[in-house]
Amino acid sequence: MSATIATNLALPFTGIFISLIVYLIGMWLTKISNGFFLFNPLLVGMVLGIVVLAIWAKSTGSTTAAVYTKYYLPGGNIIFWFLNPATMAFAIPVYKVNETFKKYWFDIIVICFVGGFISLFLIQLVSKLFGLSAASTASMLPQAATTAVAMPIAAGVHGVPAVTAMACILNAVVIYALAEFLIKILRLDKVSPVATGLGLGSAGHTVGSVKALSLGEIQGAMAGVSVLIISLAMDILVPIYANLFM
Amino acid sequence: MDKKDKKPEASNIYVQMGIFAAILFVSQLISDLFPKSFVVPTPLIGMVLLYILLACHIVKLHQVEKFGTFMIGLIAFLFVPSGIQLAAHLDIMRREGIQDVCVIIISTIILLVVIAYVGALVMSIHHKITGNKKD
Repeated sequence: MSATIATNLALPFTGIFISLIVYLIGMWLTKISNGFFLFNPLLVGMVLGIVVLAIWAKSTGSTTAAVYTKYYLPGGNIIFWFLNPATMAFAIPVYKVNETFKKYWFDIIVICFVGGFISLFLIQLVSKLFGLSAASTASMLPQAATTAVAMPIAAGVHGVPAVTAMACILNAVVIYALAEFLIKILRLDKVSPVATGLGLGSAGHTVGSVKALSLGEIQGAMAGVSVLIISLAMDILVPIYANLFM
Repeated sequence: MDKKDKKPEASNIYVQMGIFAAILFVSQLISDLFPKSFVVPTPLIGMVLLYILLACHIVKLHQVEKFGTFMIGLIAFLFVPSGIQLAAHLDIMRREGIQDVCVIIISTIILLVVIAYVGALVMSIHHKITGNKKD
């Protein structure tokens, strides 16, 4: 009997069901807390999901990693696969602002590559200051790219994709919490709108795009463009940087 | 879809999914050509290909827009398994979780500041060269 239950729980249903439930709880918490920054649905979903798996492991006397691999992964992988078309779809917002993009394409590429390279250097410096291991440092580098692109890059430079994914999720949480404050003290509403849009888009991913859109149309458009260009920049820069400086 | 200019009707949803699937398949093939030390992830190639196809008017906006917007709307949920992936690496979190989180918070601010200010610098050089003060 228990063997039948175990076999059935190892079907994709379990992973999909857990993901849906934890995400729904996250959305509900966001709603009743009026958007308190730590109740970001994705962050809540991630933490709750791990807690569920950890409790499951404790009660069955197994390890969390084993429960994750056996019961969560089959369903998780199905949802994960759909990140491919979803990430690809980010080409559509870029095409919709094609006029602006064509006008500034050279500046945007220069900004993303030069800014990206300086950021990589500073991120490595901060990681050193905090005494992170080589694997964690490598996982920190590609976080400006969108999650689905950043994770394979991290794996390519011997990082841990899971840590990179957490970094991308937390990026959005930090920007959600601090964007207004940072925009004010850095006077980002006064500098070039193209630059502000790119900065918010690469630091805060989709949440950054929403914040950028609230500043103006060009900022929002540029945040959308940044998803494509900064991902491309990270894909080229991170392996080169890791080879040269790590 | 409330668009000001007259637009062709959105394509059949199966056609839209078919276009996505076809581009993804080609992207997968291209991605396989790159060595392990220089990964170019499939979705990145897909993104670039879709942009090129749209920009060259080979694929029309109405043929991909509806499904694409739908997928982007789902993206926060699609990230949940990537986050839960951490359950398999709890040893790292136990060892240096706090430091990781600190570095991520600082990195976010670094990214915002560096890209915005490098951007401001590049744009001011651009305006100086073209002699155009307006954005």
